[in-house]
Formats: sequence, structure tokens, C-alpha cells
Amino acid sequence: MDQYKNFKVEDFVWDTFFRQWILSPTRESDLAWNQWLTENPETSALVRQAREVVLSLHVKEPRLSDEEIRLAVQNTLAIARKRRIEETDEDRPKRIYRSIWFQVAASVAILLVAGWWLQSHRGQSLADRPGNSTIDQPLFAGTELIEKVNKTDVPLRIQLADNSAITLTPGSSLRYPETFPGAKREVYLEGEAFFDIAKDPDHPFLVYANELVTKVLGTSFIIKAYERSREVTVEVKTGRVSVFAKSDPDLQAKITRRELEGVILSPNQKIIFERDQIRMVKTLVENPEIIVPKSQIPHFEFEDTPASEAFASIGKAYGIDILFDEELLSGCPLTARLDNQPLHEKLSIICKAVEASYEVLDGQIIIHSRGCRN
Amino acid sequence: MNLSLHRFDASDDTMIWQRFIAGEESAFDQLMSSHFRALFHYGSKFSRDKEFVKDSIQDLFLILWEKRNNLSTDIAVKPYMMASLRRLMHRSMTSQSRLLDEPFENQEGTFEIEFSVEQEYIEHESTLVLTGKLQKLLDELPRRQKEVIYLKFFQELERNQISEIMDVSPQTVSNLLQIAIKQLQKHWKAEFLTLFLIHLFI
Repeated sequence: MDQYKNFKVEDFVWDTFFRQWILSPTRESDLAWNQWLTENPETSALVRQAREVVLSLHVKEPRLSDEEIRLAVQNTLAIARKRRIEETDEDRPKRIYRSIWFQVAASVAILLVAGWWLQSHRGQSLADRPGNSTIDQPLFAGTELIEKVNKTDVPLRIQLADNSAITLTPGSSLRYPETFPGAKREVYLEGEAFFDIAKDPDHPFLVYANELVTKVLGTSFIIKAYERSREVTVEVKTGRVSVFAKSDPDLQAKITRRELEGVILSPNQKIIFERDQIRMVKTLVENPEIIVPKSQIPHFEFEDTPASEAFASIGKAYGIDILFDEELLSGCPLTARLDNQPLHEKLSIICKAVEASYEVLDGQIIIHSRGCRN
Repeated sequence: MNLSLHRFDASDDTMIWQRFIAGEESAFDQLMSSHFRALFHYGSKFSRDKEFVKDSIQDLFLILWEKRNNLSTDIAVKPYMMASLRRLMHRSMTSQSRLLDEPFENQEGTFEIEFSVEQEYIEHESTLVLTGKLQKLLDELPRRQKEVIYLKFFQELERNQISEIMDVSPQTVSNLLQIAIKQLQKHWKAEFLTLFLIHLFI
């Protein structure tokens, strides 16, 4: 419970475990918190205050007596019973078809089936259908794999049959087939490599690296998957990439379908797979780069520009979602020249100017602001 | 060791739910009785018409009962029912406003919630003032942030459950929650400071 050491009242008030202890204490939580309080006596005043706040803060709810509930339940049960008797006489299907729920469910089902069919009918055998396959290792039907190990101390460039280029970091190895005859292009990586994959949406390109599967249609990205490392990471340079765990129960379906599923990464995003916790964290690469072509890079020169517009233009140039409250920030004028700073500096400067702050969460940037109207 | 059962509400729910699906009337009674209040509270955020909320809950249970053969036995009961009630109420409110030829106020409807401070829990005057400020800040949050805060802290639901109920991605739930809490904490901190300063000057 070390994280609680620096907690202030407002942190305690919105902490799930603290609230649980206050609102519905158990023997375990009592024990844990009381012990913590004995060890950290200086926090007792804070905890006392936070407790009072949690206990006293309620949601105003309309009055409803137990009797009203009892009546409503009796009433509903009676209707259900009556319908049950009617149903045995009447033709049952008719009333089901009439219900809104059925109609909604049916249209959803039709859409789902249609969508699935559209996505999957492209040249796929029955065996590839989700659910029909229990294979958890990809199969290479009769294809021999070439293994390249980079034993040099410089990066090694490998050209694949489909014109994709892979740059293998020293000490890393790649296994790949000489040609890609099937519907998928599949390779195995150990270590680190930069992938520049030739665009071919009909033949998804799959990289198997430790516990992760990375699926792309044509893009460039870096994978780091060292045998001994606690993490596997994928960083995207261009295009979009989808990543999922090898242990994913729907693995086969996700591999075969034409579209990207699982965790989707856009340029400048990065996934970290923590191997011991089997957990994926999406974040941003360390130094995000502008992704639009040079000719289309806007000038980041703002003169009395609403901060909301500045954020939108930056987000677009870097291909990163910047979340902010449009209404609040449109009232914050900004004057600044930000052409040469890296992304994080741009953001810091704007935030400082309009008294906001930002954080990176799940590969997006969130702007916190109170607005600028006095 | 015999741990008291009442603490495992969720697993109790699942058992009643399975009996409900099997068609047991006693399970119908139990399920509706035990969830009525929470559903009523949630539903009343979308409409002030008490009878309409009650009717919607009745419709919800009748529909669930009618199509119980097609329902999954393995679901999180409370969030599932809340999500269904939300959709049911939105749908009937949309069609009502269409009938009346009035535009239905934005597609997502309203979420009317008010917070209150119950003084009997507060011993110190300063805490009372602070809690009052917090209440005001909560009341001023935008609609969706309020709903997330309500579901997370006052209905004690998890992120994934909230995302199902509100029909948005878990990511959006996290974002809304983060933004809301940061807002509350930041403003509150400022309030702390002013209070402190006032004390100095008095």
C-alpha cells in the first residue's frame, strides 16, 4: 500500500479501495487499513477527513418505499404468469416476432452475418473459419523456412519475395518462407527488427514474436522481442498495425480475416506487452514524428488562435488523438511559433500558455483544462 | 472456514439468474426485488417521471422473461440489466418524442443527477465546507462525466461494465473518468488553498 503514502484528501476520496473500505468494510480491508494507519500515523487526519467526505457525499435519489417495490414486482409477476398461460394456447412465434427486442436482435444478427460474410468470403476455405480451428501454432503447409541470423555487428537487410524489406538488428534472427504462396505472409522474429512491408491488403503480413502476433496490410514498424527481455514492444512508423497475443482464443479468426483487429496501433503509437503480467499497454513512442507528407505539414504559427484549433492541427500532423474539451479550449487564445520543437515541447508550451496540462494515456493525449473565461 | 455468503453478491446474482433463465418464478421474484431499487435509481437519471421509470423496469423484466431461452447464463447480471434498461428507456423516449413531433433532446438523452451532503456524517465544520464545494463541482461536471462517476463510484461498477452500459469503448470510459477526476481534484486543491488563505487573514 505504499502508493497511499503521498495521498491527499482528494486522492483518497476517489480511490476505489479506500471507498470500499469506508462504505462496505470487510475483515480483510479493516485489517489492512488499520495496520497501514498504525504504520503511518501522520496520515490519520487526512484519512479521517476523507472518510467524512466519502460517507456524507450522496446522490439525491427519488423516494421509493419497499411497499412500492413489492407491488411492482407482484404486478409484473402476475402479467408474466398471464402471458405464460396465453402462450401455451396462442401461437408463440408470432408474439416473439412482434417484439421490438426480437426485431432489433434480428437486424443486428443480419448485419453481423453480412459483415462477417463480406469480410471473410474472399478466398478462404471452411477450415479457416473462426471456431473451426483449434490450432494455436500457425501452420506452414509444406513451406520450407529460411532462417537468417544476424551474426555481424551491423544491421542486416533482408529482402523478401513480396518486396518487403526487413532490417535485422545484430544478434536477432528471422525465419521466413522463400515465397508466400498462401493467403497470408507469415514470418517469425527473435530479437529486434524494422519492418517495411509491401502493401498487399489481400495478403495480410503476420509477424510472430514471443507471445505477440503483429498483423499488417502494408506499413513500417519496429518489433523488439528478445528472448530474455521482460517486454515485447511494437512501434509504428507508418500505416496501421494490429497486435494480439498468441494466446488469444480467437487467434485463427483474427489472423485470417482481412481487416485489422485486436489492439490497433497508428503511427507514433507503441504497444508494450509485459510478459510476466500478460498485459498489453498502449502508449506513444518516445519521440513522435510528423506523419503527413512534407508538403502538407502545416505551419505551427498561432496568432490569437483558439487553443482547440492548435491542438487539432498538431494532432492531425502527428496522427495522434488529442482529447480535449472543445468548448473550454475554444475560449483560450494562443500566440506562439512552434515549428521546430518536438511534440512534447509543443504541447508543454501551449499548456503553459493556456493554463492546461496534458498526459499520455493509452496512446492518446489528454488535455486537462479549466477553460480561460474569467 | 465458512465465509459469510452475503458478501458475494455477484455470485448470488449469477445463481438467481440461472434459475430465472430456467423459468423459476421464485427467481423472477427475487431478481426483480433485489435489483428494483438500483435500477429505479439509475432509470430516474433519464426521466423525472417516476411511473415511467417503474413501467420501464416492468417492461424490462417481462422482455427478459419472455426471451429467457435466448439469454446467456454467464453474464454480469447487474450491468446487463442496467444497460438493457438504459436502451429500453432511450428507445421509448425517442419514439415518444417522435409521436409528439418534438425533437428528442440530443440522441443520448439527459442524465440528471444531483449530489447531496448528509451532514450527520460530518464532525468538523471545515469538512462540511469542503464537501459542499465538492458537491458543487460534481454538479457542474458535463453529462457523460457525471454518468461515468455515478456508475463507477456510486454503483461500484468496473470499467468494462460501464462501457457496456453506456455503449462506448472501455477507452472512452477511462478517458471520461480521468478527465472528470482530474477536474474535481484540481479545483478542489484550489479550494483548499483559498480556504487556508481565508483562515490566515481572519
